[in-house]
Amino acid sequence: MTTVEQLPRSLAPSAGQLWRAARGPLAVAVAVLVAGIALAAVAGGTRSGLLDPRAVDPAGSRAVAQVLRDQGVQVTLVTRYDQLRALAGPGDTVLVTFPERLAPPQADAVGAIRADLVVVGAGEPELFSSGVKAVGGGQPGERSPACELPAAVRAGSADAGNIAYETTAAAGATVDGCYAVGGAPALVQVRTGARSITFLGYAGPLTNERFDDLGNASLVLGLLGQHSRLLWYLPTIGDVPAGAEKSFYSLVPAGVWWALGEVTIAALLLMLWRARRLGPVVAEPLPVIVRAAETVEGRARLYRRARARGHAGEALRAGARSRVRPALGLPRGAALPTVVEAVTVRTGRSPVEVAALLYGAAPGDDASLVRLADQLDILEREIRRP
Amino acid sequence: MALTGRAGLLALAGAVVVGVLLPSWWGILLVSGLVLAAVAVDVALAPSVRTLRLSRSGDTAVRLGETVAVTLRVQNNGVRAVRGELRDAWPPSAGAVTQRHRVLIPPGERRAVLTTLQPTRRGDRFAHRVTVRAVGPLGVAARQGSHEVPWRVRVLPPFTSRKHLPSKLARLRQLDGRTAVMIRGQGTEFDSLREYVVGDDVRSIDWRATARTADVMVRTWRPERDRRILLVLDTGRTAAGRVGDAPRLDSAMDAALLLAALASRAGDRVDLLAYDRRVRARVEGASPQELLPALVQAMAPLEPALVEPDYAGMVAAIRARSSRRSLVVLLTGLDAAPVQEGLLPVLPLLVRRHQVILASVADPRVEAMAAARGDAEAVYDAAAAERARTDRARIGELLTRRGIEVVDAAPEQLPPRLADRYLALKAAGRL
Repeated sequence: MTTVEQLPRSLAPSAGQLWRAARGPLAVAVAVLVAGIALAAVAGGTRSGLLDPRAVDPAGSRAVAQVLRDQGVQVTLVTRYDQLRALAGPGDTVLVTFPERLAPPQADAVGAIRADLVVVGAGEPELFSSGVKAVGGGQPGERSPACELPAAVRAGSADAGNIAYETTAAAGATVDGCYAVGGAPALVQVRTGARSITFLGYAGPLTNERFDDLGNASLVLGLLGQHSRLLWYLPTIGDVPAGAEKSFYSLVPAGVWWALGEVTIAALLLMLWRARRLGPVVAEPLPVIVRAAETVEGRARLYRRARARGHAGEALRAGARSRVRPALGLPRGAALPTVVEAVTVRTGRSPVEVAALLYGAAPGDDASLVRLADQLDILEREIRRP
Repeated sequence: MALTGRAGLLALAGAVVVGVLLPSWWGILLVSGLVLAAVAVDVALAPSVRTLRLSRSGDTAVRLGETVAVTLRVQNNGVRAVRGELRDAWPPSAGAVTQRHRVLIPPGERRAVLTTLQPTRRGDRFAHRVTVRAVGPLGVAARQGSHEVPWRVRVLPPFTSRKHLPSKLARLRQLDGRTAVMIRGQGTEFDSLREYVVGDDVRSIDWRATARTADVMVRTWRPERDRRILLVLDTGRTAAGRVGDAPRLDSAMDAALLLAALASRAGDRVDLLAYDRRVRARVEGASPQELLPALVQAMAPLEPALVEPDYAGMVAAIRARSSRRSLVVLLTGLDAAPVQEGLLPVLPLLVRRHQVILASVADPRVEAMAAARGDAEAVYDAAAAERARTDRARIGELLTRRGIEVVDAAPEQLPPRLADRYLALKAAGRL
């Protein structure tokens, strides 16, 4: 026969078990953290960023800015809308990168600046200049100018594409469209008097990577180097003027609200489904629960509250006496001296002590009551033991 | 009528339609209208629950602690299949293990559904009602209705003390003379004559019979038979008190059942009376074979009433029912006030004609309290318990002095102690 030794044991994990279970995930977390900090420390020295005139990575634009500076153009990086409004004036060129980051009223205001504007990759050009619309486009690639814009003519073929534009001639404005992509120009310049707005569909020529390909450099320098100062506007997303901010809810498509209405109805139906009971609740008369020992416990509470040591002590003594008498072979009604004598003979205690224990005065405090109970127990044991 | 979860899911799917295709009031109206139309169609096409025919079969009685199966048969007289849910509702203390059932009843057919009960309390348990939810063909809505299909399961007292029966019966056989030991004494009755063998008591030689025959004849004796025993259950206030997990009444029933089983084997006739302020139950003149079933059936629905028992009425009822001398076993409390004020004044009427045993369920909790020591709280508890014990002992003494046998024991000990007392009385020929 085999017996399986099974000792009771606790299933609560000890500190060691917790550590063993947690150290794997902890090690991974620490490794990720360290690697992140290390990478940040290594990469922190150089700036990176799309079309950023300080960035040296392939998508940055430090090359353009550097060449322009060499040509004597003052290149100023502007990231805040207010700053742009304050700085820009006639005789400046303003390059707007990421026009989609501008809220529509901001775009309107930028479009109204009395300076030459060059907007790169604008999906909604009508915000800057009414009469110009985006019409699809095509894969960026080498295109020939095929127009009379001096900068384009000088540059010759260059990278163009991405977004193409369509223009409707406004009164008193001359429009040039170059580098046609699928029939529509990817570079459009609208001139109204002395001021021009240029839309460049593809930002490639401005990047470090593609700046020196084809006629890109010449085109860019021609567009941006017209004036002695270039304001390079790099909008940030959070930079929205007060009042132009849209609430989250106004951005939610209307359909969602209607769908939510229907969802409410669905929820109502689901509630009706769950609320309908399969038949009524069955009621049952329950028996009264009366504990048989309730009266005894009540009496104990009364003793306790009244500190009735006299009554309690007498009850204990009476109980002890009633058990002692038959053990000593005494009749029920045996008187005090008889009982005391019999107990004395049996136990060898002094008659005074026995009388005090079995028939003595009421205990004075709780401690002596407890002592009395214990002593009565001892006496009973002595008597029972032959 | 009732919806199913599918109706809600349909509306949820409709929300996508509203959001993408028809974001307007019209979309919501259209989709909700479609869902409601589906519900209406389903309710219209769902089979009627009213035309179902339900019947029950199965057990009607079970001992407390055992399980019982009740079969419910559902006949579909309609033209469409009934598919859906069925709930056979029972009160909580009936302990129905499975109440909800999935049913599929083709038209014109009948299906049985089994409900297993494990009752948690003694007494009668009545089936509540059967509710059927019949889902329509689309499954988005259902018709729902209930049927009354009456059934009663009587939960009988568990009679856990029957484990003591074999040992008590062995004692009884000893008394009965079926073993070699022959006893002679007061209260035994003449059985037969047989030839003297060496070892027989010479006092039992029947000289007259010896004179008539050639051999020496001795008389044999056996304990008296065909005595009457009346078990009286007090269903009043004191019987409601809980000792341990069960009311005193249940422990008293257990003791009464053991005594009845023993006495009927001993050839005595046992009757039962349950009384508080009126007769609650009565078993009279049952034959030995049907005695125990009759007793448990009579005891099963008894519940203690929270009233002070009318002892005078009880004694009058006992006297009216038993003209011959009998053993009256009073299963009641031993609390000072009701016994002193109610029972003691009327007991002489009973004792004059009958032998009386008073059996009472003692509370082990009081014993535990009396043994408590350690701090003042415990000692006050002990003092109160000691006081209660002394009171009980005093009442017991008062009763004993009036010629009444008193049995006061904890629930587990009461049945064997009562049986022992009965056997002792029988052996002494005092019945």
